[in-house]
Amino acid sequence: MARDPKYDILFTPVQIGPKTLRNRFYQVPHCIGAGSDKPGFQAAHRSIKAEGGWAGINTEYCSIHPESDDTHRLSARIWDKGDVHNLRAMTDHIHQFGALAGVEMWYGGAHAPCMESRATPRGPSQYASEFETLTYCREMDLSDIAMVQQYYVDAALRSRDAGFDIVYVYGAHSYLPLQFLSPYYNKRTDGYGGSFKNRARFWIETLEKVRAAVGNDCAIATRFAVDTLYGPGSVEVEEDGMRFVELADPLVDLWDVDVGDIAEWGEDAGPSRFYLQGHQVPWTRYIKQVAKKPVLGVGRYTDPEKMTEIVTKGYADIIGAARPSIADPFLPKKVEEGRVDDIRVCIGCNVCISRWEIGGPPMICTQNATAGEEYRRGWHPERFPKKGSEDSVLIVGAGPSGSECARVLMERGYTVHLYDTAEKIGGHLNSVVTLPGLGEWGYHRDYRETQIGKLVKKNKQSQVALGQKPMTAEAALTYGAEKIVIATGSSWNTDGTNCLTHDPIPGADASQPDQLTPEQVFSGKKPIGKRVVILNADTYFMAPSLAEKLASEGHEVTIVSGVHLANYMHFTLEYPNMMRRLHELHVEELGDHFCSKIEKGRLEIYNIWGDGSRRTYRGPGVFPRDANKTHRWLEFDSLILVTGRHSDDSLHRELNARQSEWEANGVKAVYLIGDAEAPRLIADATFTGHRVAREIEEANAQFPKAYKREVAIWGNPHSPGVNPEIEYES
Amino acid sequence: MKILIAIKQAIALDEDFEIRADGRDIEEDFFLPDLNEWDEYSLEEAMLIKERHADTPVEVVCVTIAPDSADEALRKCLAKGADRAIRVWDESMEGSDPVAIARALAAVAKKEAPDLFFAGVQSSDHAHGATGIAVAGFLGWAHSAVVARLDYTPGAKEVALKRELEGGLSQELRLPCPAVLTIQLGINKPRYASLRGMKLAAAKPIETLAPGDIGLATNDCGESGSLARVRRMYVPEKQRAQILAGDVAAQAKALAAIIREATGS
Repeated sequence: MARDPKYDILFTPVQIGPKTLRNRFYQVPHCIGAGSDKPGFQAAHRSIKAEGGWAGINTEYCSIHPESDDTHRLSARIWDKGDVHNLRAMTDHIHQFGALAGVEMWYGGAHAPCMESRATPRGPSQYASEFETLTYCREMDLSDIAMVQQYYVDAALRSRDAGFDIVYVYGAHSYLPLQFLSPYYNKRTDGYGGSFKNRARFWIETLEKVRAAVGNDCAIATRFAVDTLYGPGSVEVEEDGMRFVELADPLVDLWDVDVGDIAEWGEDAGPSRFYLQGHQVPWTRYIKQVAKKPVLGVGRYTDPEKMTEIVTKGYADIIGAARPSIADPFLPKKVEEGRVDDIRVCIGCNVCISRWEIGGPPMICTQNATAGEEYRRGWHPERFPKKGSEDSVLIVGAGPSGSECARVLMERGYTVHLYDTAEKIGGHLNSVVTLPGLGEWGYHRDYRETQIGKLVKKNKQSQVALGQKPMTAEAALTYGAEKIVIATGSSWNTDGTNCLTHDPIPGADASQPDQLTPEQVFSGKKPIGKRVVILNADTYFMAPSLAEKLASEGHEVTIVSGVHLANYMHFTLEYPNMMRRLHELHVEELGDHFCSKIEKGRLEIYNIWGDGSRRTYRGPGVFPRDANKTHRWLEFDSLILVTGRHSDDSLHRELNARQSEWEANGVKAVYLIGDAEAPRLIADATFTGHRVAREIEEANAQFPKAYKREVAIWGNPHSPGVNPEIEYES
Repeated sequence: MKILIAIKQAIALDEDFEIRADGRDIEEDFFLPDLNEWDEYSLEEAMLIKERHADTPVEVVCVTIAPDSADEALRKCLAKGADRAIRVWDESMEGSDPVAIARALAAVAKKEAPDLFFAGVQSSDHAHGATGIAVAGFLGWAHSAVVARLDYTPGAKEVALKRELEGGLSQELRLPCPAVLTIQLGINKPRYASLRGMKLAAAKPIETLAPGDIGLATNDCGESGSLARVRRMYVPEKQRAQILAGDVAAQAKALAAIIREATGS
């Protein structure tokens, strides 16, 4: 099918300086964990989007000098010829598909802790980073300013040599140019501080110098947080925001605008829990009023309808996207081909971002299991190798893992029967999406439901059997499948078993009328009393989400947490607003407390640090610390056990126990995937289903094939002319 | 004991389709064929009788009047547990209306002599709702349409059932066997075929018969054996809809005005 003419405007080219963007789809800079050290990963992940139709594709933030070193997080770097060589792989592969490659030149100031380089970051004034603890910068004098501006120029020249078409001076997320502009950081009294013109001077001069150096060959872009959301005293869009755009407009070819800072950059990369697509428009829409150059804005745009509205209403000229381009690298192509219902819509869970926040392991995506696997595993998001055998596959469990496994096997041409007791594809996700703010997570289920629906029509031998009786080992063995994939998921523990004691909690028993697992809360069959205690030993969303749900419904909620409540939500950028939400709803948190026993209507809690700071060997049978005397009783009407999960793997165990009967029943292999193998993130459950589907012809597909590693090779210098041997100064 | 089930490979359409050059049907390229939804329920009902009374052998036989493209639907029934499948066709049957199809089905029924004959209430494509009861007319057997509950012990001389009437009413009655019943959606929960069932079905034969094999003459079949024929198929023009507000009297008055305007009376 051809594209719907109403989307035509999204496919009109835009001139940016000496370069042309072929359409309005643009992958803004975003981290992936590749940087300049994993050039294959970098080249493959970015160029897959060029193949998928994006017009411009950028690196993540790219450090211009060792003085801006973000270790323990992972940025790209363009410090030397070695980096130029490695990033060249990215630009070459992007160019093969007719897209433009951009580099986001980054200097972090005090936000870059320089843990590798041990350099001292410089800033407009000396301040302690509100983002990176224990890091101060040194205030620049005039010669420092000239020196750092030259870093930008030198990096721009290297970028041009690396084949980049678009060169950024990055001033969003509170990085250096914005630090000069914002009085929040800039306390100077010389020509670079005080008045707006003075505060803008560093950025303007840097743009002038970079433009003079590479402006004939490259488009000059700047990324600008047009409102830092701090209110008066920093950058506000209708004040310094518009003023700066007006001033700098002649020096840029492309405006890339967003909002927020770095310490709470979830206000920019807004999780779907709190923000809808286009959530930045109330701020960024002002920019087009003053910019004569093309403007691009982000806001988790996944829907071509919304994108068209953004362009036609004049809020932006170009649709910037990071997360939607990860979830579906072929989004533009699918719009172009009239296949909008095939778009793998970003669910806004921010699990991609969580990896950067953790410190830069390879990015993962809940929706797109191939994200980050393009190079090392050779996984293309839209192309699948043809099936390697005539084996038919029974998949028990249609949750995130089972449905992904089914989809990929069907794409490969296998006959697949997907079997579940539930009436709907989605597994536990169907409950999760009923939690406050998590409705969009259902796109994960919807995508698989739609695709499997289409694939089943192509192969009448394949089938989706929902609403079925629980699969028994006997039924699975005699089902007639050569391969059986068990994707039966996991459940929350009913006996309080947790990651702290690794044992049940005495008295914890979800069969009691006043104790509930999260599943029992979802089913709504057990009445929940006024005073609710959530006993938590899980570090992700379940406890805070249930607290929000129940407090919103009028319950008095106390969370007793033996682990850092919602710790993983720091990484997904959901933490700040989650805490604000719990505060608004008067949810009490008893942190660093856990539970020793439960009786009807009360639980005994204790401070987990109450066992004495002195450790002494006291002989066998005696604890090396003092007895914990902090125990006290806490009353509840209903207790919710969010202590841990366990795999529902009994079917797999039974089938394994009957391995001697496999051959007679024509069963060649049984695999265990998703939460049924080990409870995990939805992204990881999806990945295991995808992986087994890709590798099912392997001798033992239960265990992953080796992947291509990208590591430094001993004896080879990163940059030419460097002696790779050990050599000491003498 | 035997149950004979009339089944149909029904056609669904996607959003985009084209009408055939002769204007009498949809272009075959746009067909999305599948077993008629109602037939899933009649087959399941037969399978339940078979399985609930394991001591009495029950043979479940499916029959369709269609070209070999319908084998897929028959194999689906075999995969779910039907014992045999029969397909009757030759070119003379092209253009058969529900009555001509029923004549052929009745002829098969005479040959097979089942205790019960099931058909779906209607097919999901043409929705005539005529074939099953027309079979009863040809056979002169007891019959009931829109059966929503069935109670039958193999070998019994009677079948007890509940059938849907209009206006939310239903009727419970007993019929002597052999009987023709048209089965309604929701009477049971149709099963899915297992992979083993599908593999076995792929190897099972489909008995193919020509009209002559069941005693039909050429003029019993196709257009010459039909009372109705399709002259033209077309996409209806988009009409307007209007919700009439007010109480019943006001709505009736408004409706009368619309009718007067439309008929010019």
